Amino acid sequence: MALDFGETTHRNTPSAFSVNIILAEGPLAVSWQHASATCEFLGDLFAHHHAQGGADYNEARHAIIYLVNELLENAIKFRNPGDIMLLCSLEDGNLELAVCNSTAPAVAEKFQSLLSEITSRDPGELLIERIEANAADETSSASGLGLLTLMNDYGARLGWTFEQNDGGAIVLRTYASLTLN
Amino acid sequence: MEIKTAEYNVWTEGSTIHYEGTLRLSGTDAYQPILDLMQQVLVEKPQNVVLDLTQLEFLNSSGINLLAKFTIELRKHPDVAMKVLGSTRIPWQSKSLPNLQKLHKGVELLIT
Repeated sequence: MALDFGETTHRNTPSAFSVNIILAEGPLAVSWQHASATCEFLGDLFAHHHAQGGADYNEARHAIIYLVNELLENAIKFRNPGDIMLLCSLEDGNLELAVCNSTAPAVAEKFQSLLSEITSRDPGELLIERIEANAADETSSASGLGLLTLMNDYGARLGWTFEQNDGGAIVLRTYASLTLN
Repeated sequence: MEIKTAEYNVWTEGSTIHYEGTLRLSGTDAYQPILDLMQQVLVEKPQNVVLDLTQLEFLNSSGINLLAKFTIELRKHPDVAMKVLGSTRIPWQSKSLPNLQKLHKGVELLIT
């Protein structure tokens, strides 16, 4: 059974400037530093492409790096062992990113309850509330702040789909889009 | 006091805390040594604390949470003024640092 949250529809066409990346578990032993390397690569590549039209390279590069890094950090942290797939595209200043990884059912369930809250409230208000709650609770892992900063500080539009595969794991797809200035 | 790696450098000079480089640590636990260094500055009971972020090119959301935690901590020290220095050259600072003022009205934010 599939479950959706937020905005899961992407509009860039097949002719958009796009790159697919697979962080393959076997050869890479996917770990934390792959988020850095991947976001720097995509940030440079897509900001260069965007800046060809005269737009601000630095601003675009930074926003792309922050977006890719936060979603990839989440994927690396909460995934089941396995590949992580990224699809990034840019068309008319609309940057779209989809990240796909598998995760354990219990992790998915916890994440879904966080998403119900995130997608039903004002992200700016919720960001401050969660920061306060995290500061008051020493054991808190501050999860959700990356998503809320993306929504509130960067105006990112986010969506998620959960689907159970034959092996019982959950396939999570995270969708993000950003309007680059 | 100083914490230095190939990616970042955090050090104190009096009650000013300087940050340089790229901070992408994996979570609250990984940031704890930096938070300890920041809290150490408060032990001296300074009149003011300055966070100089003008050379901090990147900070992930766990790092933003670190700054937020310290800001909340400062609310318990109403006699200590807090100033945050940022740069317009580094886009995340204009986007995310104003959140600190929502947590603590006394924070002076200078992004130049």
